[in-house]
Amino acid sequence: MVRSLTFLLLALGTLFSVSESVRFELQSGHTKCISEDIKSNSMTVGKYSIINPNEGQPMPQSHKITIRVTSAYGNSYHYADLVDSGQFAFTTAESGDYNACFWAPDHNPPDTMAIEFDWKAGITTRDWSNVAKKGQVDMMELELKKLQDTISSIHDEMFYLREREKEMQELNISINDKMGWMSVLSLAVCLSVAGLQLWHLKTFFEKKKII
Amino acid sequence: MEARHRPAKLLVSIFLIWSFLVNPISSLSVTVNDVECVYEYVLYEGDTVSGNYVVVDHDIFWSSDHPGIDFTVTSPAGNSVHTQKGTSGDKFEFKAPRSGMYKFCFHNPYSTPETVSFYIHVGHIPNEHDLAKDEHLDPINVKIAELREALESVTSEQKYLKARDTRHRHTNESTRKRVIYYTLAEYLLLACVSSLQVFYIRRLFSKSVAYNRV
Repeated sequence: MVRSLTFLLLALGTLFSVSESVRFELQSGHTKCISEDIKSNSMTVGKYSIINPNEGQPMPQSHKITIRVTSAYGNSYHYADLVDSGQFAFTTAESGDYNACFWAPDHNPPDTMAIEFDWKAGITTRDWSNVAKKGQVDMMELELKKLQDTISSIHDEMFYLREREKEMQELNISINDKMGWMSVLSLAVCLSVAGLQLWHLKTFFEKKKII
Repeated sequence: MEARHRPAKLLVSIFLIWSFLVNPISSLSVTVNDVECVYEYVLYEGDTVSGNYVVVDHDIFWSSDHPGIDFTVTSPAGNSVHTQKGTSGDKFEFKAPRSGMYKFCFHNPYSTPETVSFYIHVGHIPNEHDLAKDEHLDPINVKIAELREALESVTSEQKYLKARDTRHRHTNESTRKRVIYYTLAEYLLLACVSSLQVFYIRRLFSKSVAYNRV
């Protein structure tokens, strides 16, 4: 019973998983990077796989990719060399732009691979199928729980946007102040340079006994 | 009797769970050198595909506002469903005429690579046809789906605002750098020019040059 259930889940998962992820093409020898802005202390899950160009036949051996996931500061969180599928999951320690870079090795003749990539961060990483299975929860209740989660994530996002706007405002005010001071300083520099010129030339001419 | 019905009910509930797990992709960014295409699968005909994209500029020191990026959506049949030329960011929404793999392409007509942050969401609301087919699907599920789609539109707007805020931040950083460096360069230039002036005048009066020329 459990086995048929999991098989069914997997079957339906493959049927519906295409709608969850983004698909892009990678030419051999090229690099493609996808980045995402993730807050610190949030869970992030990523799944990547090469799509088999020939249905039913095994994947060509040469279709392999190298992937590296790095944070904004350069720390590598996941690295896989010459694989055709895989996944990664980690909790972010720093906030910023996280890059997932894919390299395709050189093929002869040059080939294009289609890669399916699903990257979830924050609230969307929650596995609802597990919650439903565990608690024997009613469908309706599950849906409403999901909506509640979405609403709280929207609320958090609003706070985050508000914080960023505050930082931006402070940056703008500091730029404004700087520009004010720099203009006054520029006037002072101009006047002092002119004064120095006049003083120097006066003493020079007096020394030369022209004045 | 009950043992026979239970697997069927579980099957349907699993189907429902998975159908409602159609998650949107998160807001991603790609660097567009020439053409970058992203594919997204639309399950049902008549689904609303919505999203937005914002060009988050690199630090281009000398040029002014970015000329723009072209955005095209191609349906699985090959005709273009939505086109937008020469913008630095926009929202879009259209009803999918058929199900299948849709192609979302960004084209950069200029040589400088640009980073585009985009978000695409495919939303499905079960209609009367689906209600009639599946007896376990309540009319309340339609209301819940509508509510979910409304919340998705709020999330989509938030992502758009966040991407625009990032671009604004880049512009501000560039402004700050320009203010500091340009004014320092201006001071330096002023000092150099005035010292050149002084040296020239001194040279005019020096004994090595003919005195009567002045």
